[in-house]
Amino acid sequence: MKNDNLLLQASGVEKSFSGVRVLKNVHLEVRRGEIHALMGENGAGKSTLIKILTGVLTRDAGKVLWCGQEVALATRKEAHRLGIGCIYQELSLVPTLTVGQNILLGQETTRGGFLQTPLMKKKLQDLISSFGLAIPLDSAVETLSIAQRQLVEILKALSRDSSLLIMDEPTASLSAHEAETLFRAMQILKERGVSILYISHRLEEVNRLADRLTVLRDGEVVGVLSREQIRPGEMIRLMIGREIEAGKQRALTPSTRPEALRVCGLGRHGVFADISFTVREGEIVGVGGLVGSGRTELLRCLFGADLADTGTVQLAGKVLGSTMKARIKAGFGLVPEDRRGQGLVPLLSIQRNLALTNHDLPGAGKIFLRSSFEADLCVRSMESLDVRPRFAQMPVENLSGGNQQKVVLGKWLARDLRVLLVDEPTVGIDVGVKEEIYGLLQDLAEKGVLVLLVSSDLPELLRVSHRILILRQGRLFAEFRRGVVTQEDLLRAISGIESGAAL
Amino acid sequence: MRQETVRRLVSLALLFLLLIILGTTSSSFLSLPNLLTLLREASIVGIVAVGMTFVLIAAGIDLSVGAVLAFVSMLSANLLYSTTFPVPVILFLGTVVGVAAGLVNGVLITRLHLPDFIATLASQGIFRALTLIFAIRTNGLISNKVINNEDFLALAGNTGGLYFVTLAFLLVAVTGQVILKRTKFGLHLYAVGAHRKSAELSGINSNFLRIAAYGISGFCCALAAFFLTAKMETAIPDIGLGLEFDVIAAVVIGGCAFTGGRGDALGSLIGALFMATLTNGLYKFNMPSSVQVMLKGFVIISMVIFDAVYRHEVRREKR
Repeated sequence: MKNDNLLLQASGVEKSFSGVRVLKNVHLEVRRGEIHALMGENGAGKSTLIKILTGVLTRDAGKVLWCGQEVALATRKEAHRLGIGCIYQELSLVPTLTVGQNILLGQETTRGGFLQTPLMKKKLQDLISSFGLAIPLDSAVETLSIAQRQLVEILKALSRDSSLLIMDEPTASLSAHEAETLFRAMQILKERGVSILYISHRLEEVNRLADRLTVLRDGEVVGVLSREQIRPGEMIRLMIGREIEAGKQRALTPSTRPEALRVCGLGRHGVFADISFTVREGEIVGVGGLVGSGRTELLRCLFGADLADTGTVQLAGKVLGSTMKARIKAGFGLVPEDRRGQGLVPLLSIQRNLALTNHDLPGAGKIFLRSSFEADLCVRSMESLDVRPRFAQMPVENLSGGNQQKVVLGKWLARDLRVLLVDEPTVGIDVGVKEEIYGLLQDLAEKGVLVLLVSSDLPELLRVSHRILILRQGRLFAEFRRGVVTQEDLLRAISGIESGAAL
Repeated sequence: MRQETVRRLVSLALLFLLLIILGTTSSSFLSLPNLLTLLREASIVGIVAVGMTFVLIAAGIDLSVGAVLAFVSMLSANLLYSTTFPVPVILFLGTVVGVAAGLVNGVLITRLHLPDFIATLASQGIFRALTLIFAIRTNGLISNKVINNEDFLALAGNTGGLYFVTLAFLLVAVTGQVILKRTKFGLHLYAVGAHRKSAELSGINSNFLRIAAYGISGFCCALAAFFLTAKMETAIPDIGLGLEFDVIAAVVIGGCAFTGGRGDALGSLIGALFMATLTNGLYKFNMPSSVQVMLKGFVIISMVIFDAVYRHEVRREKR
């Protein structure tokens, strides 16, 4: 057979969610013993494809050949049985059990229900020595670093005779040193003939590790590169595409209005360090970076939700207290990334949610809540934000994502807001409402509010920001403040290939 | 040193500290009869605590233990009064009822998705009410009719001074420890309690294990019911009232966590001994029972705080 070294061959894979095609005629080939990278921007369809390959989702159409045989991949169990192992971003280990117990969990050797500890020990020892991955078998998993836990996950998959390991952004929460450990492990696996499907946003990693690369854009395969063809420029070109010119670039002009917010040497141990920047009145500053680069943590710290270990935050020349209470009093507001979990109380009504942040305002009532105050506030906010349906007593969990986000914004707008911290405001929100939210942010800025916008969506950063900061591994890596900036420039800076404009 | 080892040493240290304090301040405390009585008191709580250990490891809680114990006790007494069944048959039937009560809890929790706390709080009420309904009455009033079946009363006896209930306790604790630490069932129970999702992703049937844990708790309640009834020579509806308090205190001292996946039967044995020693010692000092209950409350709170702080420190060190 000519395709003897093909392990997995997917062709014509289709998947739609409520009428929207998220995968269109996707082809993917993974050879035996290769590291195959899968790249694409957020929403390109990577996770859907992985879920189909691991049996979590079923495909609408298309064929999957495993070692030349057609397979259904209808259940997670079937994927396991074939030898497809997946290492999820969110690890699935039992923290209190030991490494050894975790690796063999669910496939223990027993006699009459009793564990055959010596036999299992030997099995583990064999596994570890055959792959040369050193890990203390008797340590509880909760005492290990994230990188070591990933090794445990890998060993767990290998103990089930996996010949294909799918790794979904495994380095997102690893330090550079820890990532090296993982890369060494990947090399070893490759030498043993295990194939790896490697999903990553990090160009330099893919550049270094991948034997081949498949790039997805908008649910379609836009290119397959071989080892020699993999170059950062080419990857970026494929990921972003050439068709849509609008929103791809933007001319930035530095603001001349007075400085208002000054962040000096802000740091939080193990998360980010030495972050200094200023924001001028009425400026929208975009903050880009990979997941795990410290963006969300920086916003939380500025808001006082987490305490900084070093550094100061000044607003209009005054050093602010570090507690959340002090920051809110100074006019800070936070629109968190996890809308339903942190931005809203889903069971409470629109009115209650809008009032939650505002019970300290004059007129709210000192001890007993004044419902007229809440109602007034609610009517005004719903009008100005155009929340639909305009029904104050409706639980927010029944609203669409976009309207929920308006309510989260509305919580802060009734106040004397000075600084608005926004974290991924348009994830899961449809295009029309997205525009409304951009408009809102721009209106606020015109009124003099300082906006810090964290986003993974490059067109969004370009569309709204007056200035763009890029974080990388917890440090300020680049700043774009003037001239024409393209998505490509941003992506290069985010991936750490070059620092774009000088800092 | 491993976290579990440290935790074991802490509960042992607490027990020995208490023993030393009482041994040096009270002349009668260390006398053999007193120690044997103390062990006997510890055994009832201890047997139930071993069952509770399984439930807490599976990240559940069983508030119905006192009521299930009372129900089995009353049922056995009824059978002793009104039938001529041989004692082994009565013990068997009582055990079946105890296990069934536990399984009902487990099914409510896993199949009907009731929170553990609510399901067992509700079943506590139900079993307590059933106990009242089956209570022995004369002229419509509840009476404490004495059991005179010699075979049954023999359960309250001793061998060489050591009460049978203490031997049963040791047997239950050792068996529990072996099941938890040496069998697949036990290992999987820890996994389910510590991180249910991961355990399920590894192909473990978590519902089965959780139901089984409640079944074991019910079994232990039935066992304790026989010994307690034999000791009291009668069954009263209020038997085992508030038992869950002492039992939960014991397993928490022994190292179980309400978040699941921690603790073992040996730890709970130490915890039960601690609770019994505390009760015994406070009697020796003529402390009112209000002081006893309050002290136990403080002990629970301090242990939970200790665990939280200690685990936080361990995690910080590792980072």
